[in-house]
Amino acid sequence: MGIKGLTKLLADNAPKAMKEQKFESYFGRKIAIDASMSIYQFLIVVGRTGTETLTNEAGEVTSHLQGMFNRTIRLLEAGIKPVYVFDGQPPDLKKQELAKRYSKREDATKELTTAIEAGDKEGIEKYSKRTVKVTRQHNEDCKRLLRLMGVPVIEAPGEAEAECAALCKNDKVYAVASEDMDSLTFGAPRFLRHLMDPSSRKIPVMEFEVPKVLEELNLTMDQFIDLCILCGCDYCDSIKGIGGQTALKLIRQHGSIETMLDNINKERYPIPEDWPYQEARRLFKEPLVSEEPPELKWAAPDEEGIVTFLVNENGFNNDRVTKAIEKIKAAKNKSSQGRLESFFKPAASVSVPIKRKETQDKVSKETANKKSKTVKGKKR
Amino acid sequence: MLELRLVQGSLLKKVLEAIKELVTDANFDCSATGFSLQAMDSSHVALVALLLRSEGFEHYRCDRNLSMGMNLNNVSKMLKCAGNDDIITLKADDGSDTITFMFESPNQDKIADFEMKLMDIDSEHLGIPEAEYHAIVKMPSTEFARICKDLSSIGDTVVISVTKEGVKFSTRGDIGTANIVCRQNTTVDKPEEATIIEMQEPVSLTFALRYMNSFTKATPLSSTVTISLSSELPVVVEYKIADMGYIRYYLAPKIEDDEDMKPE
Repeated sequence: MGIKGLTKLLADNAPKAMKEQKFESYFGRKIAIDASMSIYQFLIVVGRTGTETLTNEAGEVTSHLQGMFNRTIRLLEAGIKPVYVFDGQPPDLKKQELAKRYSKREDATKELTTAIEAGDKEGIEKYSKRTVKVTRQHNEDCKRLLRLMGVPVIEAPGEAEAECAALCKNDKVYAVASEDMDSLTFGAPRFLRHLMDPSSRKIPVMEFEVPKVLEELNLTMDQFIDLCILCGCDYCDSIKGIGGQTALKLIRQHGSIETMLDNINKERYPIPEDWPYQEARRLFKEPLVSEEPPELKWAAPDEEGIVTFLVNENGFNNDRVTKAIEKIKAAKNKSSQGRLESFFKPAASVSVPIKRKETQDKVSKETANKKSKTVKGKKR
Repeated sequence: MLELRLVQGSLLKKVLEAIKELVTDANFDCSATGFSLQAMDSSHVALVALLLRSEGFEHYRCDRNLSMGMNLNNVSKMLKCAGNDDIITLKADDGSDTITFMFESPNQDKIADFEMKLMDIDSEHLGIPEAEYHAIVKMPSTEFARICKDLSSIGDTVVISVTKEGVKFSTRGDIGTANIVCRQNTTVDKPEEATIIEMQEPVSLTFALRYMNSFTKATPLSSTVTISLSSELPVVVEYKIADMGYIRYYLAPKIEDDEDMKPE
C-alpha cells in the first residue's frame, strides 16, 4: 500500500512540507477523493463487530453505503465540493502486488476459520478485517449513491491516485484526498490525509505540498520518484537493506537509481533479479489518465432516488435518510464564505527574522551539499 | 538590538486578548516607525493588522527591521504575569532566539524578567491597498459588541446594510429572525457615544458572526469602533489605540455560490 515509510521520512526530513489543518478550513474547495481507498476503509470500520457488518435484508453488506453517505454529507456540510475518483484497470506491474494481497487474504480467511472454531474473539476481529475486499458491486453501489446525491463521479482509465493527481495538476481541484502516499509520487501538488476520517477521531487533516517536499528534501521531482521506488512502492520490490533514510542518502549522493546502481556495494545491497524500476518510474511519471479532464458538476440531490435506493433496496431507516437529505439540501443553499486571497494579493514582508543564525547555517549547509555533488559529477 | 518600553503596560495585555482568539502563531514586525503585526486566521477568512507607532513608547530602539515569531497564547501567558499598572519593556538581541519581557512595578520596587522562546513562522503577508469605502459607520464599541453577541444567539451570519435610514444588522436562524437598526445620532453628551454614518452609496454585505464576535475582543482598547464597507471588498473593523495606532480586522464577505453548485 503506497510508499513504505514515506510519512515518517518526510516528518523527519521535511517537516515544513506537512501542515496540520482544520477540516473546516477547506470550505468552498473542490477536492478529488480516491474512492476505492475510502470504500475499503468503510467496509473495515463502519458498523463492524467481529464478523458482523451492516447488511440489508438480502444479507448483502451495506457498510460502504452507510459510510459513503454519512462521510460525504459531512464534507458537503463543511462546504467542501468532493469529486470521487474510482480505479480503472491496474497497470500490469501492480498485478504482482495485487496477487500478493490476494494470497494474504486467502491466508487471513483460513486463519479466520480457525479463529472462529477456537472462539478466539480477538483473532476473529483481526482476521475478518483482513479478509475485506472491495468488489465491483461495492463500487457500483457507491457510484449510484453518489450520482443520486448530486456529487460528481469520475472513472479513471488507470489508477485512481494518478487521475486525482492529474485533476489537481490541471487546477480542476484544489487538493487530492487519500490515505495512500502514492499521490505525492504521482505529483499531486496538494495532498490531504485524514480528510475522510470519522469526526469522532478528532484527527486534524494533514496537508502535504509537493513543491515544498522537494524544496525541503533538496531533490528534483525525478529524484523524488526514484526515492519512492527505493522506499518500496506497489510496482516493484525494494532492495533489501535499503529503507527510507538510506534511500534518501543514496539518492542525494548519486542523483538517480542508475548512478546509484553503478556505485553501491551489491553484496551489501542485493539488487532483486527482476527489478523493473524503470517501468515503475514511467508509471509514476506518465500514468494512464483521462486525456480530456472531465467536466465537474455538483447538482441537487435526487431525493426520491436516494430513498428508493437506500430505504427500499437496502433497508436503511427512512427517518434518518430523510433527515440526511435535508442536510444535503441545507448545505447546498448556504452561501459560501469568501477568502481574503481573492481580494488582497500576497506581498513580501520587509522584515528579517531575528533568528538570523539558523537560516545562515542552513544556507551554508545547502551550498556544501551542492558542492559535494558537483565534485562527484566531475569524477564520473 | 531591540528595546521597547511601554509605560502603559496594560495596553499590551489588551492587544493580546484582542488577537489571540483569531490567530495562534504570528510574526511581530519591528521597524523604526513602530511595532506591528499582520496575521490571518487558519482558514484565511479574517486578517488582523496591528500598529503601535514608535512615538507611543517611552523608549523605542530598533536598529533594523526585524520579525519575531511568537505563539500568541504563550505571549498572553507571559503578559498575564504583569500587573495592570506595570511598565513593560520588550528586549531582544540580534541573532538571539528569545525575547525578554521585563515588568516593572510603578514605584520600581519589583522588577521581573520573563524570557520566551521565539519560533519560525512562515507567514503569508498580504498587501492591502488603500480603498475608498462606500459607507463608513462609527459607533460606540460596546454597542457594536452587544449587537454581535445578541445576533449570534439567533443566527450565524449577519447582513450589514447601510442606507439613508441608518445601518441595519440582521440575522436569521432556526428560531426566528432579528433586525437591529442604528440611526445617525450626534446629539450626545460625550463624543464617543455618537453614531456617525457617512454613506457614498448604499451597501449590503453578509458576514459570519463568529468572526465579528472575535473582533469585539478589542472593545477594551477603544470606546469607538469604525466599520468600513464596500461591496466587493472585505469589511474593515477598526479600533483606534489612543495616541499610538490601531488594530484593524478585515473579514471576507460571504458570497453567492458560483455556477456549479446551483441546483439544476
